[in-house]
Amino acid sequence: MFAATLSLSRWIFILALIVPVGAGVLGVILPALSYFPAIGETEFSLDAFDALGAVQSLPYMIALSLFTGLSATFLALFGTLAMLAVFYQTTGLQWIQRLLSPVLVIPHAAAAIAVGFLIAPSGWPVRLISPALTGWSLPPVFSPLHDAMGIAVIVALTLKALPFILLMALSVLAQPHLSARLNKQLNLAVTMGYHPASTFLKVAWPMLYPAIRLPVIAMLAFATANVEIPLVLGPGSPPTLAVAVLQWFNHIDITMRLQASAAACLQVVVTCSAVLFWLLSERVGAGLISRWQLDGNRVTAARTLKGVAVVTVLGILTAVMLMLASLTVWSFAAHWPFPQALPDAITVLHWASGLTSMQTPLTNTLLLAVPVSLGAVLLSILVLEYEKQRDHCSKLTDKVSGDLLLFIPLLIPGVAFLFGLTWLAQLAQAGQWLPTYVSHFVYVLPYVFLSLAVAYRRFDERYRYVAYGLGASPYNVFVRVTLPLLSAPIAIAFALGLAISFSQYLATLLPGAGAIATITTESVAVSAGGSRRLSAVYTLMQMILPLAGFVLAWWLPAKWFNPAVHSR
Amino acid sequence: MKLNALILDEVEVINNHHRLIRVNTRVSAGSVLTIMGPSGVGKSLLLSAIAGVLPAPFRQQGTIKIGDQDITALPAHRRGLGILYQDPLLFEHLSVAQNIIFGMPPGTNKYVQAEELLAGVGLENYGRKAVQTLSGGQQARVALLRTLAAQPRAVLLDEPFSKLDMQTRAQTRKWVFDTIRQNKLPCIMVTHDEQDARAAEGEVVTVSNSTETI
Repeated sequence: MFAATLSLSRWIFILALIVPVGAGVLGVILPALSYFPAIGETEFSLDAFDALGAVQSLPYMIALSLFTGLSATFLALFGTLAMLAVFYQTTGLQWIQRLLSPVLVIPHAAAAIAVGFLIAPSGWPVRLISPALTGWSLPPVFSPLHDAMGIAVIVALTLKALPFILLMALSVLAQPHLSARLNKQLNLAVTMGYHPASTFLKVAWPMLYPAIRLPVIAMLAFATANVEIPLVLGPGSPPTLAVAVLQWFNHIDITMRLQASAAACLQVVVTCSAVLFWLLSERVGAGLISRWQLDGNRVTAARTLKGVAVVTVLGILTAVMLMLASLTVWSFAAHWPFPQALPDAITVLHWASGLTSMQTPLTNTLLLAVPVSLGAVLLSILVLEYEKQRDHCSKLTDKVSGDLLLFIPLLIPGVAFLFGLTWLAQLAQAGQWLPTYVSHFVYVLPYVFLSLAVAYRRFDERYRYVAYGLGASPYNVFVRVTLPLLSAPIAIAFALGLAISFSQYLATLLPGAGAIATITTESVAVSAGGSRRLSAVYTLMQMILPLAGFVLAWWLPAKWFNPAVHSR
Repeated sequence: MKLNALILDEVEVINNHHRLIRVNTRVSAGSVLTIMGPSGVGKSLLLSAIAGVLPAPFRQQGTIKIGDQDITALPAHRRGLGILYQDPLLFEHLSVAQNIIFGMPPGTNKYVQAEELLAGVGLENYGRKAVQTLSGGQQARVALLRTLAAQPRAVLLDEPFSKLDMQTRAQTRKWVFDTIRQNKLPCIMVTHDEQDARAAEGEVVTVSNSTETI
């Protein structure tokens, strides 16, 4: 019975990752080929692509998507390299890790809105230095928001991508067998006179990069196709391709759906091109590093790396502090004329009205996040347990191909398959909640699984063997030994699941047909609405929710599963 | 309790087409067989094979018997073989007494029994404590109590004393072997400490580092 459940879970796991994405892609290809029975189109043609090709600003949209995505990923990767090169094997790295971990769980929409608060012409930073340094007594006319180059988009994307890539790298470097050997090799090279930063570049990076390559490419795919950040910070007309797809899909004229579907297919091509370009650039980078490796230069790039590392750390630190401070001040601000450094008075009015209007979105947010995360945690645990019990006959390739599957939803742009999924759900009259659950699940499952897999695979097998020796059956060992001993990582994975679900914008907006309002969708709507104070309240709420989840995840397992707490 | 021997009939551990280790022996009740040899020859794998938890890609051949019963095909949890490692591996989500109770068969008054067992090894009133608060030697004692509480038919020891400091090691070693002998259990110990082998006062099998192609 237990064994059957485990092997069934493996199939559910594979299907949950493949079917929604596959069906969604199909559901976007058909309308792109002009098959859309709802408006009487049942003949296949390339008309939609012709219509798309006739859009004048299309090359600009594509270029903007590529430029912002590639720049942000490169900056995040370079920042990671520099910080690791300079701070690896120092206590500074732990501080950086502690500082950046919370940034990881801030929803993209919240990060985008917060960056908007930071760089707005009438934002707090400008007020702090005005008119003393700038001489402005009125907000400047030019604005770094919505700039045509997408610089603000790059800033927000980098801010979110950097912690992700850095923490991925750190989790690789934390593997005991790898770090022990690597540290010795680094020390050896340093004794030969190599600067520590150059040593890291020449010795550690060529080993580390292949291990984080897949997450980096997933990040790139995400960055080229993300919707909420360019929606909040990017240029309006024309926007990035992904935002254009969203606008065309939501166009009053339903025939625009065909063009939107064609554009969604194009988005896949654009994302693939970005990945291809990245793979080619990798070669250039690898060639450069292998040349440096043997040139005998003891201080290669040491200064540059140091400079970049310091700028990155200070930049992120300042940005995060200023964003939090800005949001907090605005959320309590009464009348606040420019260029005063502080508001005239403080009020809780915005919080009161915000919390009132938040009730339904908050309920919806939790109604989605809790079951989805529970399901994802449960399924991941069963699959990992299956993997353990089948270790007697399994090949390593099994494990690896299973892990590669996880990247399908992360590599295929959401705009491409979510629209198709929504259309199919409408055809099947599945309502709004079911498809929304499915799309959230598709995004939550990979992160939950990857976070649990680390702990599960590192779990000391001998605990199970001892329990078998005591006569406990596999099911009993699973329930009474493995699960309680892993309660801490399970709780963290659950909290991560909540955070991912909380942050979903497109995966809520589309399948929910706009009828399911969550904190994140409302937050984006409010930020476009013009009330900066209410927007600050919503954005702070977006940040508080996932952090609250993690605080509970740290606290509860210790309370429930640790007799040491009670006996003291 | 029946006095059954643990019999290894041509038991081999095989990695692909290489035989790592082969043992052919009979361990009578109340005696300790010591398997010695350098690390990497598959001593621990042999214990895993006997316990029924041999990981992939290793395979096992031969027959394992307790008395007349062939247990080779039984799943690990139905073999009735208690196993002790160099780490005590007490379950940290359970108290000291609960760890011992985990091994007990269904019955009543288990808390009282656990406390009695603890008292017998100089750990009066330790039942409610968290296992993390115990010293290494105390944890080792609780681990053996837990193993014995499950009423195993034989005991496997995998480098059981190597992580204890010198003084605790001698005491714990004497106590473990005395207890196993008192309980009339057959026992196989894997170690590379000569003193362990001497204290076991049983047959010593030395395996060498030769992999045979088959």
